[in-house]
Amino acid sequence: MSDEADHRAGRTGAVPVLEVRGASKAFGATQALDGVSLRVERGCVHALLGGNGSGKSTLIKAIAGVEPADAGELEVRGVRQNLCAISPARAREAGLHFVHQQRSTFPDLTVTENLAIGRGFDTGVGGRVEWRQARRRAAAVLARFEIDADPGTELGRLGPATQTMVAIARALQDQDGAAEGVLLLDEPTASLPAPEVTLLLDALRRYAAAGQAIVYVTHRLEEVYAVADRATLLRDGRVVGEVEPRQLDHDALVELMMGRTVEQIERLRGRPEGSTLLRGRGLAAGTLGPVDLEVCAGEIVGIAGLIGSGRSTLLRALFGVLPLQAGEVRIGGELHRIDSPADAMAAGLAYVPEDRQRDASFPDLSVGENLSLTVVPDYWHRGLLNRRREHRDALGLFDSFLITAEAVAAPLRSLSGGNQQKVVLARWLRRRPRILLLDEPTQGVDVAARAEIYELIHQAVAAGAAALVVSSEFEELARICDRVIVLRKGVVAAELSAADLEAEGIAKVANAKAAA
Amino acid sequence: MTLQRPLRHYLEAYAFLGLLLVAALFFSLWPETGETFTSAANLRTLVSSNSVIAIVALAALVPLVCYEFDLSVGAIAGLSSVFVATALAGGTAVPLAIALGIGLGLLVGCVNALLITRVGVNAVITTLGVSIVLAGVVNQKTGGISVTGDIPLGFSEFGSSNWLGVPKIAYVLALVALAVYYLLEHTPYGRYLYAFGSNREAARLVGIRTKLTLGMTFLISGALCGAAGILQVARAGSADPKVGETFTLPALAAAFLSAAAIKPGRYNVAGTLVAIFFLAVLNNGLNLAGSPEYVSNYVNGVALIVGVALAVRLGRRQEV
Repeated sequence: MSDEADHRAGRTGAVPVLEVRGASKAFGATQALDGVSLRVERGCVHALLGGNGSGKSTLIKAIAGVEPADAGELEVRGVRQNLCAISPARAREAGLHFVHQQRSTFPDLTVTENLAIGRGFDTGVGGRVEWRQARRRAAAVLARFEIDADPGTELGRLGPATQTMVAIARALQDQDGAAEGVLLLDEPTASLPAPEVTLLLDALRRYAAAGQAIVYVTHRLEEVYAVADRATLLRDGRVVGEVEPRQLDHDALVELMMGRTVEQIERLRGRPEGSTLLRGRGLAAGTLGPVDLEVCAGEIVGIAGLIGSGRSTLLRALFGVLPLQAGEVRIGGELHRIDSPADAMAAGLAYVPEDRQRDASFPDLSVGENLSLTVVPDYWHRGLLNRRREHRDALGLFDSFLITAEAVAAPLRSLSGGNQQKVVLARWLRRRPRILLLDEPTQGVDVAARAEIYELIHQAVAAGAAALVVSSEFEELARICDRVIVLRKGVVAAELSAADLEAEGIAKVANAKAAA
Repeated sequence: MTLQRPLRHYLEAYAFLGLLLVAALFFSLWPETGETFTSAANLRTLVSSNSVIAIVALAALVPLVCYEFDLSVGAIAGLSSVFVATALAGGTAVPLAIALGIGLGLLVGCVNALLITRVGVNAVITTLGVSIVLAGVVNQKTGGISVTGDIPLGFSEFGSSNWLGVPKIAYVLALVALAVYYLLEHTPYGRYLYAFGSNREAARLVGIRTKLTLGMTFLISGALCGAAGILQVARAGSADPKVGETFTLPALAAAFLSAAAIKPGRYNVAGTLVAIFFLAVLNNGLNLAGSPEYVSNYVNGVALIVGVALAVRLGRRQEV
């Protein structure tokens, strides 16, 4: 049978290349997966869609053998196996290729080495690694995936987006044309800026057209519409529907996914009061600057720009994470010298970083401890930490931030990515900061929680705070910001006022050639 | 899986303590060792000799909470004991000698802290290097011979006498353990240490002054080791230049093992004490049973690996 024939057969539903039946998995008292079945056909991008904590990642980990299931069956290309007995090696043997949510690359090794580790090194006489060949192969892979990186660069020196792309390239490098296996991607776009998301989705469509079966885990509906042929919807560990997303409109899909309707999110806007809360003059740090900046109380200002445009650097410099090489910062008219995050906090700043795993989560500490780390001294009363009050406040934050966790004492790493993000936000918003610095505040957060987060930002701003929001989703900026500053190559390329705020408009300015 | 969560949690937390009690019970009832093991003299020696190591272990625990190893704990205790014994033999007043011991510990801790946080040398390498240098200092000071001389009677009596039937040194251990427990569990600083141990970059970004926080752990560790050195002089009535080195490994082992007891998956004070006395009872019992010395090496080594493996599993199982 030719690939083309296979492809057509797949579309008619005759040849499932991957089938999972009755996958179940419990974590303590929580039933994370409850008899989940999944059927993926050749040449099909199959979205696995669900809200935070719906069991998407758990299912992928079970299929990968990373966290074996308690029960279930797996069939790949007609070979039936017990799902509980799957190990990473077996999954790979069966032709399953994964890119997990967590970092699976090696930041200290070069791009060449990272790619070679995925497929084994070519060795010459005496087991010597054929470095020249490995480098050539790496360069070819990078070119094919349109990744702008030198094969000899240490991976850790690349931006998070490029790192994700290398991880994807590594999983796919031997797949081109083969169309034999299944590619499983767990939220691959979580840290990718919009243009690169498009690039990646284009590539996925290309592979699917060549007969590749792809399982695509996400909670981003736009991507589902853009790329998925079919979708399995998960909620609370159960399958609640298998649909062809293009047949359903947005609201119907959201309702199916969340189990309730989500009211259209109103275009939230702050009400600038006129008094300037944050004023930066000639700010410079690393490749950033000089940048002038003014944010009023009650205002949400977006920062747009591509990776490397200096948007994250700006927030980090304001928060004292990176040293400011030049410029002055005034907060409420007062000159502030901010040399460390502690200084920034004392000045009323709060910062939610872009890379949660690296910069914001304390995986071994409890959810309660994670929530209170920004306010520990408040609980220190008469020489003792008031744990009862800490616990009570944590439960209150669970309510107001819609955090789903088994217990306040559960370790943070037991939470789904979206819930972890809400914990990080709650940790900062509870301080009632005057100035919010938010870098991708809704990363990994589902539709419903996203609306909540916008609402929380809005509330903080309505109470007199100011917010600077970095986001690679231009729709997000268009929806919540009063004003958007577009950075390009470290300087302000444009400033768009509310009237000009349309996602396409921001994208156009951000993407414009720097030479122009 | 079938166990109720609270019960399972209880088992995990107290299994190690249970093992300690079982071991103690076993050696009390075994005819070979029963009589000697349960004798007041034996129990007192067991407690007082291990109290010093326990303080060194608590010292190692503080940086360990930050996932940094202090390999110089034994060397600092040894340094302190030699200098304190020499000072006392030379007629220095006891309070002054005590200040000297703790001061030396603080000084070395300060050097460790500066090298690690300011110069940026890896903590393992720093403390290993410092401990080798300290071994040299001790040898230069003593010529490799024990410092005996005139240790004031009241001082050495404190180390060998009892209060309410319990060695006085054990009360010092209780005080130190309480202080470290308070520091780790009931102060913001302690909370910051655990946060630092979990993710140091994130710790910096929630406003924790990371260099100060980490540096302080080595100062605290140094001071506690200095105190342990003083107690060692009180207990032995002399200072053996080799004694410091013998503390390092058992103390670090107990600090590591603490993550397997009481608060599973976390280095903690009560777990450290359980680990110290578990190993002590095991060694003491085997000793009394007349087993050759290499047996205790096997036991200590295997206990460390099994205990830490257990702690890793417990930590992972918490991933509910």
